[in-house]
Amino acid sequence: MNWQAIILTLRLAVTVSAVLVIIGLPLAYWIAFSRRRWKFLVESLVAMPLVLPPTVLGFYFLLLLGRGGMVGAWLNRIFGVTLPFSFAGLVVASVLYSLPFAVQPLVAGFASVDRKLIAASALLGATRLRTFLRVILPLSLTHLITAVVLSFAHTLGEFGVVLMVGGNIPGVTRTISIAIYDNVQALDYANANQNALFLLIFSFVILSLVYALNRRAFFVGTVP
Amino acid sequence: MNQVSPLQEKTQAADRLLLRITKQFAKGKNGAAGFCLDISSAAEAGITIVFGRSGAGKSTLLDCISGLLPPDSGRVALRSEAEETVFFDSEKGMNIIPAQRGIGYVFQNLALFPHLTVNANVEYGLAHLDREQRRQRRVEILQLFHCDSLGERKPDEISGGERQRIALARTLVTEPRVLLLDEPLSALDVGTKLKILEDLQAWNELRRIPILYVTHSPAEAMRLGENVIYLENGRVLAQGKPEEVLRNLSSFD
Repeated sequence: MNWQAIILTLRLAVTVSAVLVIIGLPLAYWIAFSRRRWKFLVESLVAMPLVLPPTVLGFYFLLLLGRGGMVGAWLNRIFGVTLPFSFAGLVVASVLYSLPFAVQPLVAGFASVDRKLIAASALLGATRLRTFLRVILPLSLTHLITAVVLSFAHTLGEFGVVLMVGGNIPGVTRTISIAIYDNVQALDYANANQNALFLLIFSFVILSLVYALNRRAFFVGTVP
Repeated sequence: MNQVSPLQEKTQAADRLLLRITKQFAKGKNGAAGFCLDISSAAEAGITIVFGRSGAGKSTLLDCISGLLPPDSGRVALRSEAEETVFFDSEKGMNIIPAQRGIGYVFQNLALFPHLTVNANVEYGLAHLDREQRRQRRVEILQLFHCDSLGERKPDEISGGERQRIALARTLVTEPRVLLLDEPLSALDVGTKLKILEDLQAWNELRRIPILYVTHSPAEAMRLGENVIYLENGRVLAQGKPEEVLRNLSSFD
């Protein structure tokens, strides 16, 4: 089994999930509660990774963030950072790629909170932040868990973006899906099978945990 | 900051709620008629019944007073002997956000926080106080509303009547300067309803704040109100003592 790739993949998935929670909460809040007319444009942008092939995303990522790209050249000059073919670059690209998997469950959760509860909180003197932390977020807890797990699982299984942006550097950007691809290319079916089986079982266990957790959360919410 | 109106030492300082509100709703997509709220009125300290059929604009009026819904124009203010607090004034471009008005509002569906215990619900509006003060105020109000035994339960673990009491207690514990009640007792049997209303009246004996109580039941209007505002199609059709208004009312029907 390719432990180096497995650990790298897990590290990537954990980092990406964490970043997505930080970015996803305010973004989902805005989408759920804003009354701007052009909100649909932001919603469409967020949903883009669902329909675009990862190659398109990866291509523009390289174009923009590569050493010669607009943003990339600037990053390189100011901070001395080069994103393509690095772990940091992989994180940035994966965050974009998994954005809808974090944002959409959160939006659904926030939107399902009874508006009267939000109004009641304001009338009792709470600021928007307090209303969010004490009412909206706790009542969307199952959606938050779903968002985290979907981001995690989706990052675990991504292939195209990693290949485009990260390349195939052992210990830096060679995730488990890339390792499996390499194994198959090299006709090393035994190792490919080991790695693939690990991914299969691991994903199943994680998803089962979530669904079980969601079920319990439902019961806690409705039955005394 | 979580600034609820500061606890005011009031004896008989009777406040008066001044209302001048217009609010236009466009025609609905399905050909539903447009609606216009056009109110010019005042509510004295004590219970004022806002009475009218459904669709007369009763809840819209309360939403405008509380600040949940901005009026198109007008002025909402609270006048006491010494001063006047303006909540909304379209001419001066003033619109205080609901969180800073110090207006208590109990919805028809009560809107108790389902994930919080009774204690946490009641203490929710007291975030500006320290823990011990919060506890003290909570214990006092729960005693007054005969709910001191419910503390650690969640809203879905108590009876309908208890939920109504908790919703009232949660709002009153913040010492609001105006209280808005949108048919909060409509789902209760008469006996329970009367007991809760007695507690509410006892509470207001000391404070003498304006309380607007929305209902569509003439019996409730007769029994409770020191004053009645009768709404129809977004306008005040009659205002005065319950007997007078309801007597005149029969001639409208």
